[in-house]
Amino acid sequence: MNFLPPSSLIPHPSSFILREKETMKRELTFLLALWKANLLAAMEYRVSFISQVVGMMLNNAVYFIFWVIFFDRFKQIRGWGLDDMFFLFGVVAASFGVGVFLFGNALDLANVIANGRLDYYLALPRPVLLHVLASRSITSGLGDFAYGILSFLVARQFAPDTIARFILAVIFATTIFIAFMTLVQSLAFWLGNAAQISQQASNALITFSLYPTTLFDGSARFILFTIIPAALIGAVPAEFIRAFAWETLAQLVGAAMLLLALALVVFRRGLRRYESGSAIQIQV
Amino acid sequence: MYVFLHLWDATYRALGQSHIAGLSLNATMWYLMIAETIVLSKPRLTNAIAEQVKDGSIAYILNKPYDFLLYHFAVAFGDGVIRMAFNALAGGTIVWLMIGPPPNIFSAPLVLIAILFGWLIDSALTATIGLAAFVTEDVAAFDWIYAKCVLILGGVLIPLDFFPDWLRHIAQALPFAYATYHPARFFVQPDLERFVFLILGQLLWLGALALVLALAYRRGAARLTINGG
Repeated sequence: MNFLPPSSLIPHPSSFILREKETMKRELTFLLALWKANLLAAMEYRVSFISQVVGMMLNNAVYFIFWVIFFDRFKQIRGWGLDDMFFLFGVVAASFGVGVFLFGNALDLANVIANGRLDYYLALPRPVLLHVLASRSITSGLGDFAYGILSFLVARQFAPDTIARFILAVIFATTIFIAFMTLVQSLAFWLGNAAQISQQASNALITFSLYPTTLFDGSARFILFTIIPAALIGAVPAEFIRAFAWETLAQLVGAAMLLLALALVVFRRGLRRYESGSAIQIQV
Repeated sequence: MYVFLHLWDATYRALGQSHIAGLSLNATMWYLMIAETIVLSKPRLTNAIAEQVKDGSIAYILNKPYDFLLYHFAVAFGDGVIRMAFNALAGGTIVWLMIGPPPNIFSAPLVLIAILFGWLIDSALTATIGLAAFVTEDVAAFDWIYAKCVLILGGVLIPLDFFPDWLRHIAQALPFAYATYHPARFFVQPDLERFVFLILGQLLWLGALALVLALAYRRGAARLTINGG
């Protein structure tokens, strides 16, 4: 007797790939629709929208004056000069800005979990993490993104390979930033209220990322490459933009993939512990 | 403070100098500690006032027998004092362990007086920004820019002594410096003459900003629109 199923019932590897492609296309369409809805909602109040974007650009520009004054006086510190700071600010601002505009709830996930607001997302036929992260946009992130582009342009490095490295650096830095924030915010599944620790982690990440890592040594450098990966969203991408190096690229790719994987695993594990709240939630 | 220590230690080593613009590394670090304590602890009025204007709850306070602005300052001041105690203790401990004792700890009582007047100046400015909600509703952008002006022109990130001469003279005359830089600078190089000029400057700016605030409040309250619901 032949117990093998007919060949027509055995799925072909190519149909699996096709199905995955269809799924990715569907989720991308969903993401684009979410982002469009968020942008339209933000632009509903034009004056507020423009003031937030322009205000954030001015905010970053005024902050950068510190480095203009510093390097006007001290020229260079441990191999870093003003031009390098343009790259550093460019990649940090652009990646932070695009990250919080496209995935705004990465900064508020802990509150969403602690207040039982995941119920809304769990009831819908969409990937929970992707939906919850992308369902909110922080408008000022556009100001950060615009400032990041401007900072890169001011460095006056318009070679095609430099521009390509900048784009790549921003993509990796954004991935690392969002993955790290998701990881930290997911601690709410175990801690109950992880809002404070998440806020501290976010502040530490942004603060340290805006300084050259050559200032730090020993255990400080170790922390900046691991526990608080500030170097991986600031100095390392900036060095990559300055000059291509396989080692730097490997650091960025490895860190992005590792953190992304960790974030997904931790969120999924935490989701199993999640208990629904009884609050009525209205999602507008 | 950890980041600042590494930054300024690297800077002093790179220059090979023990003093820059009259400040040693020890004085620079204690200056930055005091400046950070002032800024992190100061009363936060902008959002408190702006939110009450935006959601209309200002109407409930306007008909109370106390001054709206002084009420907010009193509440924020109480918070600020507690925060300052913790920030000063934590920051002072860290800097003491990292770099050693301050140049002169006995100037602390006079520094506290200067910090109080500095807070009043800052509160006048932030309250004015909060009152801009009468016109613009969303004051977040103004708040961000003001915060950055304090960080740069108030000498929180870098002492004004390290600025180019032309910028230093301008920055030292502005209210941001009287709120942050001058009290912190006095702490590391206490001097009676410096203290007298510091207080005089603070009183002058306080008078001018209080006038602007009073005018802004009167105009804002006159055009206040409360939507029912």
